[in-house]
Formats: sequence, structure tokens, C-alpha cells
Amino acid sequence: MRFRLGLKRDFDFAQHPSDEAGQDAAPHPLESQRPTPVTMYDFSKLRAAVLAGRAPDATAAARQALEAAVDPVELVNQGIAPAMDEVGRLYEAGEYFVPELLLSARATKEVFQLIRPLLVQKGAQPTGRVVLGTVQGDLHDIGKNLVGAMLEGSGFEVIDLGVNVAPNKFVAAITEKQAQIVGLSALLTTTMPAMKTTLEALRAAGVRDRVKVIIGGAPVTPAFAQAIGADAYGENAAVAVDLARKLVAR
Amino acid sequence: MPALEKPAPLASETCIPLPLVPRMEEIFRCLGYARRAAPPAAIARAIERIVAEALPLLQPRGTYSLYALEAQTARSLSLGGLVLEGNIGEFLHGAARVAVFVATAGAEITRQAEVRCGAGDAFAGWALDAVGSWAAESAAEALQERLDRHLSAGEGLTLPYSPGYCGMDLAEQRKLFRLTRADTVGVSLLPSLLMEPIKSVSGIIGLGPRAAVATDLTPCDRCPLIGCHMRR
Repeated sequence: MRFRLGLKRDFDFAQHPSDEAGQDAAPHPLESQRPTPVTMYDFSKLRAAVLAGRAPDATAAARQALEAAVDPVELVNQGIAPAMDEVGRLYEAGEYFVPELLLSARATKEVFQLIRPLLVQKGAQPTGRVVLGTVQGDLHDIGKNLVGAMLEGSGFEVIDLGVNVAPNKFVAAITEKQAQIVGLSALLTTTMPAMKTTLEALRAAGVRDRVKVIIGGAPVTPAFAQAIGADAYGENAAVAVDLARKLVAR
Repeated sequence: MPALEKPAPLASETCIPLPLVPRMEEIFRCLGYARRAAPPAAIARAIERIVAEALPLLQPRGTYSLYALEAQTARSLSLGGLVLEGNIGEFLHGAARVAVFVATAGAEITRQAEVRCGAGDAFAGWALDAVGSWAAESAAEALQERLDRHLSAGEGLTLPYSPGYCGMDLAEQRKLFRLTRADTVGVSLLPSLLMEPIKSVSGIIGLGPRAAVATDLTPCDRCPLIGCHMRR
């Protein structure tokens, strides 16, 4: 079963590896009240906690909402998603900086950890599945980690392949994980050509048409993205998340 | 293939360790905060805790070799028998001697950042990485202060320039590594021209008459990476 959520987001954690062992387990304790949609629930505490990057307050607010029989899908739609949208807007406006982004993403991730079993039971889909990696020859990973954290905080399932990733590893991960998006990172002009090599490997393996490719990193430009045939250039983490959302919605 | 012999410098020095004095505003800049912006108090406290955790992990060290400037054009510098190409020739206008340096914060800070990221704490990972960036920059600055002993009366230093940023193609990194003893501080150059440990800075700086080399600019003013979060 697939749930179409507001803001064109879908969640399905049924395939999440960490949930495999729990598929046949007893119902989640928070499921005891059989949640039903509560459209008038006040999510302001949850939104404020996510905006402030306060993970304990965010999980407490989410727990409170679930105890009030709020549908977890609604919690995502009306609580988390608008808050993360606002975080992205504040970052773009220069009012938030990377640490604020990361703290908000961490708060959201912890809420997802709390509600994931309930979303699994509902058969909801993640926003999308993203394979991320720093291309072969490059060891920089902090920018890639930032993008990964932001994507997870926005409901994406992220498969992080790490640094110095060979093209065939991207191909294997796309096939195995059924990813819709691939994110390639490079921080050196000397390793940017490995992005092109990776795209060529995707084409050779016949998986290029299955995925959208976003590239990023300090020396990368929109012109380079276009030249090598990537689908998009992510100038920063907030832009990358926005692009990923748009690309999976197509 | 036998290793190429290193050119003989006028002087050289290896400093282990180099002194670091944490300045929170500089660490905030490395974390991505814009000039004159500061984090909210709660985030600042969280960052300060991570800085305290990070400081014992830092291994600041550096080495430099000083060369006479053999020839110079707007697009090149000749020293130690090698020619560095790019706008660096123009940027070091007025220099009489050139120091080639490599400084590092060591590998442990990056390892710890990876551990924290791997454990799902991207905030701590980012902050540790930023401390590493600050420490590598600061180690390079501390190393540059050691060059004062080579200045004659009326002389000063140019701005420092690094391969891959401004005035020098990243490929020039190979020449810099021939001109300095990076191995003495545990820094090596990978085939991709990435330095290992990753939190390392290499570069060149000119020494010459103060009137000829003085400037109010920073290297960032000459760097085309306008979106760089480390921009001063």
C-alpha cells in the first residue's frame, strides 16, 4: 500500500534494513490507540523543536502527538515537513547556517526513528531512496555527509557508500537498493572527471535511465553538470534536498 | 624509478608541534557562519564542547623551505630549478625569496569526525571537521610567523597562496612537494593530488621589500570560489 502524502511526499519504510527483524514483532507500543487522522492537531511544538534543532523536544512532541492518536503520516505531513521546509528557507535566506541545518536534521531523524514502525505498518514509502558517495580518488566526505543528513531529515532513505567510491559500486548499489537518485560528490578539480567516469559506468551497465543524478562539491559548476550529462547540480545541501524532492516527484 | 633529488633551499625548518590558539570566531567561520554572524547561545555551547573534545586530537606541525627567486613573470615563478605557472607570478610581484610550506592538523581529527558521522551524529562530525580545517589553517599561519626570522629590515611577507585556489593550478602541487620536506611532518600527496592527512595546507609565500609586497587583501579576495563556506 502506498500513501500519497501532502507536499507530494511518500514514505515507505517497509524495506528499511533496520526494520527487517521487526516485521513480525508485536505492535509498536504507540500503536495501541489505533491512530486516526486528527486534522486539527496543533503541531506547533513539534515544528518549533525541529526548527530549533532540539531532538529531545521534537521526539517528546511527536510522542505526545501519537499518544493523542495523531496519524503518523499526518505528523510527517503537517509537523516535520513544513518545519524542514522552513529550515531550508532560513538557510537560503542566510538566517540559518550549516550547524542549524544539521541539528534540525538530527531532530527530524530521531522523530523518524520513533515513528518508523508505525509508518511500516501503514506501508508508507520513503520520500525516495538515494545512493550517495564521494567519487573515486577523492577522500572528502563532510559535504556528502551533510547532504545525507539533510536528506534523511527530509524522509529519504540514504545509502551512503562513503568516499573513494569506484563506479561499479554505484552501479551495484543502484541495482540492489532500487535507488531513484544518485548523489556524486567531489572536492577537487582532479577528481571531478571521476564523476563523468561514474556516469559512463551507469550508462554502460544500463542503469542510467533508472536514476536521476545530482552532483556537487566546491569546484563543481552547473556547466560541468550539464557537460557530463548529470540531471542536476546541487549548489548546497538545502538545494540538493529540494532537487531530490523534485526529481522523485517527476 | 629513483626518487628525484630535492632542490637545495637557502634555509628550511620543521616545527613539531606548532602552537595553536583557538579563536571561536574563526572556528565559527569554518563551520559555515558568515562574517560577523555567530551561532545562538545553545549551539555555541554545543560547539564549544566539541572544540574541547577536538583540541587533544590535533597534531599541528609544519615545514618550510626557503628559496631564492630565480626568475619571475606575470605567469610564472622559478625557484629551486622548477617553474611554478599561473597568476602566482603576478601575485608574488616584488618578492625576492619564496618559502614553500606544508602544514597539517594531523589525521586523528578527521578519523574522529568520521566516527561521529558514522554513528549518526553529523553535527558533531561537521564540527570536528571544521576544527580540523581551522587547525590546518592556523598551523600554516603559525608556520608563516616562523618566516619572520628570515626577513631583513624593511621586508615583509606576501599573502600565502595554495595550489587549486588562486593563481596556481592544483597540478602545481607536485612541484611544491618536490620543493619541501612534507614527509618530515607526515604529509603525503596522493595521485589525485589530495594531501593526506586531509586536513593539511600547502602553499607558497613571498618575502621581499614591505612596500612591494604589502596588501590589504586576503587570499580569498583573489579566489574564484565565491560560494566557499570557508570564505573570509
